[in-house]
Amino acid sequence: MPDYLRMGFILMVVGMVATAILAATESATREPIAEAKRQETLRMLRMVLPPGFDNEPVNDTVTLADKKLNRKEKPVIFYRARKGTDASGVAYIVTAPDGYSGDIEIMMSVLPTGMVHLVQIVAQNETPGLGDKILPTKTDWLRAFVGKNRENTRWRVKKDGGDFDQFAGATITPRAVVHAVKRGLDFFVEKKELIFQPATVEKKP
Amino acid sequence: MSDNKTSQLITDGLWYNNGIFVQMLGMCPTLAVTTSAENGLGMGLATTFVLLGANVVVSLIRNFIPSAVRIPGYIIVIAAFVTIVDLSMNAYLHDLHKVLGIFIPLIVVNCIILGRAEAFASKNGVFASAIDGIFTGLGFTLALVVLGSVRELLGSGSLFGQALLGSDFHPSLVFVLPPGAFIALGFILVGVRWINAKRDNEAA
Repeated sequence: MPDYLRMGFILMVVGMVATAILAATESATREPIAEAKRQETLRMLRMVLPPGFDNEPVNDTVTLADKKLNRKEKPVIFYRARKGTDASGVAYIVTAPDGYSGDIEIMMSVLPTGMVHLVQIVAQNETPGLGDKILPTKTDWLRAFVGKNRENTRWRVKKDGGDFDQFAGATITPRAVVHAVKRGLDFFVEKKELIFQPATVEKKP
Repeated sequence: MSDNKTSQLITDGLWYNNGIFVQMLGMCPTLAVTTSAENGLGMGLATTFVLLGANVVVSLIRNFIPSAVRIPGYIIVIAAFVTIVDLSMNAYLHDLHKVLGIFIPLIVVNCIILGRAEAFASKNGVFASAIDGIFTGLGFTLALVVLGSVRELLGSGSLFGQALLGSDFHPSLVFVLPPGAFIALGFILVGVRWINAKRDNEAA
């Protein structure tokens, strides 16, 4: 066999063995990864949704897309919490495109009355020590959203004449979060019927 | 193989030929992930696993791979191990994976791993390569934990997530930002050189 063919052949064998091992690893870890992601969503939902619901919000979802939720109009999953047949709240992720460093993903929960129940940060990449003060592990800034609705609040940071604090040296991040939650709330108020519509298809997450 | 050589592999990997402090390889993960001691530890251990696996396999196939195509062969081996680490971490250490996620694939291009495969494992037996892989990896982990601890302590006033310094301490933000990585590493390197120089003087 000429040398160049032998080399190619050997590399092919190495590649094939590696591929086989990787395929085996992938199929062995696929389930645990999906389960870990599901657990993570569940943990987040338990934290955000008002307690006392008796359904499985992970399985009671409706998927909607709108410019208000994220700029790219990617579909957003609405996790609905119910107590008996009454809706007790809904949680969904809105994306703030105008953070200091990339998108900020925010999970917010809203009560059927149109009042914000809780707000959590899912993913952010803001400057450590400045913008990341929005994280509940650093400050309790996010608590400011509790109990706010469209009427009782001016949805701007204080610098812009609103009700929400900014941080010294970091206005962009809080402003982005406030505006994203406001848009999320607007969407809820406009599309409440759609959000709480009975689930037509039971979807597995 | 003599015990003497094994112990030299261990001290070389951990200190005298440390991948970070002496060889100055693998700077990308070193500077990028060490914003806290925990991140440094996670990245170090993941890299150690890849180093061990890659060294053993490269040593096993060293007589089988023609030298002209050895580098692509090694890269396949390394990339396979990195993907295994990536998938298993995502499945079983999901929270750590969320923090280190984007850096794990970068282990493939960590020069330390290809460096050890090329300079050591392709010329030595399986046992020696395994020892070399483990201790080069632990030396890398040591460097990352030291750098991560310094940056976390000065930048956020905590260590492994535990607040250590009281509220009177004002963290210096720059240390968790990218420039802080260079500054802290520079001072650590001075310290390492100083310790080594002192020891050499005493030996002389």
